[in-house]
Amino acid sequence: MTTPGPFLQRLRGLAGLVIGLVIGLVLALTGAAAAAQVLHIRSAQVTPAAGPVLSAGDPRASVALPDDWSRSRPGYAGTVTYRVDFEPFSSLESGDLLALYIAHVCSNLEVFLNGQLVHGGGRMVEPVTHNCNHPQLVPLPTALIRPGTNILDIRVAGHRLAEVGSHQRDGGLSALAIGPMSELAALHAQRKALQVSAPQAVSATLLLMGGFMFVMGFVNRRESHLAYFGALSVGWALVDTRLWLRSLPMSHSVAEFLLCSMLGFITWAAVQFLMRYAGSRERFVDVAMPVQCALLPLSLVLAGPSRLHLVASFWYAVLALEVLAASLWHLRREWQRRSVWLMGPLLLTVAVAGVIEFAAQWGGTRPLAAHVAALIMPVVFVLVGLRLVQQQGHALNHAEQGKARLEQRVREATAEIERNFRQLSELRVEQVTERERKRIAADLHDDLGAKLLTIVHTSDSERISTLAREALEEMRLSVRGLTGKPVRLADALGDWRAEVVSRLGQAGIDCDWQAPEDLPQRLSSRAYVQTTRILREATSNIIKHSKAMRCDIRCTITDGDMLFVLQDDGEGITAPVAGRLDQGHGLASMKNRAKQLQGQCLVESGAGQGTVIRLTVPLDRAIEGS
Amino acid sequence: MKTILLLEDLPEIRAWLRKLVMQVFPGAVISESARVQDAIELVRAVKFDLALIDLGLPDGSGVDVVTQLRDTQPDAQSVVVTIHDDDEHLFPALQAGAFGYILKEQARELITEQLQRISQGEPPLSPSIARRVMAYFSAKAKTKPAASAPSNMPNVSLTDRESEVLLRVAKGYTLPEIGVQLGLSRHTIADYVKQIYRKLNVSSRAEAALEAQRMGLFR
Repeated sequence: MTTPGPFLQRLRGLAGLVIGLVIGLVLALTGAAAAAQVLHIRSAQVTPAAGPVLSAGDPRASVALPDDWSRSRPGYAGTVTYRVDFEPFSSLESGDLLALYIAHVCSNLEVFLNGQLVHGGGRMVEPVTHNCNHPQLVPLPTALIRPGTNILDIRVAGHRLAEVGSHQRDGGLSALAIGPMSELAALHAQRKALQVSAPQAVSATLLLMGGFMFVMGFVNRRESHLAYFGALSVGWALVDTRLWLRSLPMSHSVAEFLLCSMLGFITWAAVQFLMRYAGSRERFVDVAMPVQCALLPLSLVLAGPSRLHLVASFWYAVLALEVLAASLWHLRREWQRRSVWLMGPLLLTVAVAGVIEFAAQWGGTRPLAAHVAALIMPVVFVLVGLRLVQQQGHALNHAEQGKARLEQRVREATAEIERNFRQLSELRVEQVTERERKRIAADLHDDLGAKLLTIVHTSDSERISTLAREALEEMRLSVRGLTGKPVRLADALGDWRAEVVSRLGQAGIDCDWQAPEDLPQRLSSRAYVQTTRILREATSNIIKHSKAMRCDIRCTITDGDMLFVLQDDGEGITAPVAGRLDQGHGLASMKNRAKQLQGQCLVESGAGQGTVIRLTVPLDRAIEGS
Repeated sequence: MKTILLLEDLPEIRAWLRKLVMQVFPGAVISESARVQDAIELVRAVKFDLALIDLGLPDGSGVDVVTQLRDTQPDAQSVVVTIHDDDEHLFPALQAGAFGYILKEQARELITEQLQRISQGEPPLSPSIARRVMAYFSAKAKTKPAASAPSNMPNVSLTDRESEVLLRVAKGYTLPEIGVQLGLSRHTIADYVKQIYRKLNVSSRAEAALEAQRMGLFR
């Protein structure tokens, strides 16, 4: 994990808020408990009695309140009747009722005032209504209150410790408080909110959130920790129902059995969640946890209901150790991988709550802190759930971005591939074309070339020999044009010079050739071939027709144009000569070829004034034309 | 009295060449062949002074005959007579030891003159061939460090003068022009050109031998 985002900071704020609320609630409750004008009764006369009301003959013993059955009468199950007496309050405000407040009674009770039933918590026989977590407020009807000593009989049905999974569910009665209804009702409402309403709300929340998480994790197997967390939340919600659900359609022992068995599943979910959330998976855990889930109920069945508490306590310790180990392991892993700012404190909180719960097991009736601790656990779950949702949201966001990036990359790669493919096919076309050109060139040489050559050397007519020779030259230039690559302008000038100068020299014409050297430009093979033909034709004309003694040839390169000026001192082009030239398509073909190169060829001549040929070839377009 | 080999597959051209050769070298003994195999047989049997060799023949390339002559009769002058004027076709023949080339379609007078010049030791060299030779030697100078060359490999490189002549030929100057520019006689320049041809042949053969040796080692 990287730096905490804004959402994370809000989550921290939320955690602070929740903790603040819990502390505030606790402070408010302790403040309310210290009210005045309330009679606290801390001892009673007691008899284990079958009858609803104590009679004078029943054996009696004095007992201190709160009375924890596991200490005062270990192994006893059934009903016990407590008798206390009290003087009516003289200082009651008008219109206010007198009330009895019982912070804790387990499992159920009936209250008799002066022998009259004034309150019943539910069924007193199996399945006994489960009121252990419900604070009791009993209005004492004014009509039944005598002026003198009033007798209050409280009949309590309870279970022995051995048969219940937790101390908070064995038989017992807390201290009693008698006082003004208004005052005690407020206290009762507060305690009820804490012990009943809050667990109800939390159970509902956990059920909803856990179900959601479970589905999310189940659908997406790579996020299996979500499924385990969902199972943990739902399981905890079910266990917490014991805090507020009074009546179950089953016997006490069955309910206790199911509750304890449930803890096996919760541990399974918790351990797996902690491991998977840290991104690891252990094969033996995958096997051991379900096996344990089966062993736990089996051992409870084998031990029987009468030893349930003993076996359950053993399992509590084992399960708690497992969760503790898993937590430490999780934190260690997370410490290496990312920060533990949330899971660390939350797991610590859970541990503190667990210690409080554990301590409360030995404290007789439950202190306030135990109720708060019981509430803290699900709150922690909710926080973890929120954190998971947040991470899931982040992951989703991340995945979307990754997907977008991937799409972009795929588009780029596709474009790249297409480009490569295009280049490759172009290259392939070039190769094939080149091969084909060479084949055509070879064919032309072998066949056409041989035939033309035969004509050249076997014809009796000089004119036909010349034509065939020219045809052969044309063919060769065409072939070179077909196969040619761009030619360096400097090389081309060397070729032209060698040909023109040696031909003119052989014809006895003085030649002055001036051209720049070391030129970097290149010439397309087409431009090279066409220029070669034009120069060759011009040279031929000079040799054949001009009767010149001297020829000046100038080549200049200006602004991407190549300019040739060929000037002879011959007799110029007279009318009959022009006619002959046109017959041989000489001048016309020179001009045509120059035009094909987007250049031009100008011939200036007058009788007796020599001839000037100006050939302009644009270099840039010439190379583009290749 | 000269003995001359004539390798040409087209009968008319062969007849024409024969006539031409007999004019240039009266009284010469001329052996004719239309196939590479026959020519190689002839080379084994007869000692030649001059060989006019066509490149594209029905049963192979005339280059093989040039090589054979070079190997068995170093004094014989091989001249390629061809329809191809491009260095791509000519260069391998020159590397194999040909001592010049003549383009077939040229006029009788021109060919006569060229043949006379060749027999006098003045082989033709076109700018494109000159450039090709320059490129060959400069690439060789770059790729071959002296240490890696076997001791039996002749160290063939051009002298400054030879390079100078080549460069000027490549720029389009004729041999007489180069002679004037360098203050040398026309014959001296021709000797440089012959030397260049010879070095090209020696170097190419040494390279081929080395290549064969290398292939043998790796095989």
